[in-house]
Amino acid sequence: MGTIFEQLSGTLTHLGEKQIVTFHLGSLQLQFDKAAMIMSWIVMALLIALALFLRRALLQDVEDKPNRVQAALDALIDLLQSQLTANFSSERLGNELFPFISTLFLFVLFSNWLGVIPGLSSPTQDLNVTMGLALMVFATSQFLAMKAKGMKTYWKGYLEPMPFMLPLNIIGELSRPMSHAFRLFGNVLAGTILTTVVMAKFAPIIVPSILNVVFGLFFGAIQAFVFAILAVAYINVAVEN
Amino acid sequence: MSVDWGKIVKSINWTLLMAGVINFGLLLYILKRLLFKPALAFLDRRREQIAARIQAARVSETQAQQLVVERESELRQARERIEGILADARREAEALIAKAKSEAKKDAAKIVADSKHRLEQERDRMIHELREAYAEIAVLGAERVLDREIRIEDHRRLLDQLMEEINEESLRIPS
Amino acid sequence: MLQEAQAVASGISGADIALAAKYIAAGLCMGIGAIGPAIGEGMAAAHALDGMARQPEMQGALMRTMVLGQAITESTGIYSLLIAIVLLFVV
Repeated sequence: MGTIFEQLSGTLTHLGEKQIVTFHLGSLQLQFDKAAMIMSWIVMALLIALALFLRRALLQDVEDKPNRVQAALDALIDLLQSQLTANFSSERLGNELFPFISTLFLFVLFSNWLGVIPGLSSPTQDLNVTMGLALMVFATSQFLAMKAKGMKTYWKGYLEPMPFMLPLNIIGELSRPMSHAFRLFGNVLAGTILTTVVMAKFAPIIVPSILNVVFGLFFGAIQAFVFAILAVAYINVAVEN
Repeated sequence: MSVDWGKIVKSINWTLLMAGVINFGLLLYILKRLLFKPALAFLDRRREQIAARIQAARVSETQAQQLVVERESELRQARERIEGILADARREAEALIAKAKSEAKKDAAKIVADSKHRLEQERDRMIHELREAYAEIAVLGAERVLDREIRIEDHRRLLDQLMEEINEESLRIPS
Repeated sequence: MLQEAQAVASGISGADIALAAKYIAAGLCMGIGAIGPAIGEGMAAAHALDGMARQPEMQGALMRTMVLGQAITESTGIYSLLIAIVLLFVV
């Protein structure tokens, strides 16, 4: 009884120190930064390797019969286009933002999946990373809104329907990147916490590994899809209204 | 034990956040240059080519359909012409047969008429000859009568007998 | 925590009560906070299934919209999770 308590408590406090360390301005902060940065770089390296691999498909002539790599590339791009960028209100916007949304999706997907590998952790279970991504989506949506509507209409939009609604509008606008970032962060972190707690509580390795696969692979993919499609929805709303 | 929200907000590591943003920007740039731009261009090129091929196929299909329609109309015309020719030939054949039949009938009638005519002529000739023969016989009989000085009754009886014989003989001639 | 458990055995201090309150609050926060999103997501899934059964050709769009709606519904659950984590590790 005592050992289980000790283990659980140790895991949770360790998790807290490791993940929530940015809430304290502690001495461990630097170490934690390093880990998140290294995980991000691993994800980037994986994605660039994937890009280099898929790039081989483009070497052959258009006339030739598609080979396997090209079929994979076709499937990937078709998936991204039909599921994500097809939801944009205009086709031009979808084509313009296709690289951004696709990179967002692939980065978050690979980040979530990285946590499945023992010894590695997801960069997305760090609030700073998700907040950075969400703020980028926010900045993109505001920039596109300014471009689409013009400065005057854009700033006037904050005074509608009544001028005294200004603070509410600003809060509403700012709450989007917040919830966007917290959603991904919370989901990934919840998966990690649950897996760690179960791993500390139950000795058989099979249960936590199944949980790990479910949370890491399945929920990871769903959360990556949700993150990307919410980015699409936020940009759509910002450009339209 | 109260939550210091200001501390929490301040404690979000802005340097790490900016580092993450720069990382992502770099990744976006690399992936765009390396994969997305060429891949989209490639797919566009292929889509255009497929569209061009579909267009070409559609054109050749319409041409083929036109050809088929033309062939069918030609075939129909040929069939109609053949049927016309056949009908003409049949009509001509029927006319020929009818003509031949009528001619044959006419010929047969003519032959029958001719043979009747010839028979009649023959009979007449034979009757004539018989008459001449009877005349000679009568002359001969007269000579014999004169020789034997037969009485008038005998004479008449002989003549009657003769006439009867002549009539019987003449009736016995086939018509 | 082991020392705390031993302290409980010897005598209860104010800090112990606060610690216990923290854990109870975190558990209640997560447990009650999960009810709303659970019901909401279930309703979204049920109605999406209804729609899919009625119009199978709309499956893709319905699925996408359902996942998006569920993700937004989940926000409140995520907020309660964050509050629970703050209660556990920060307060």
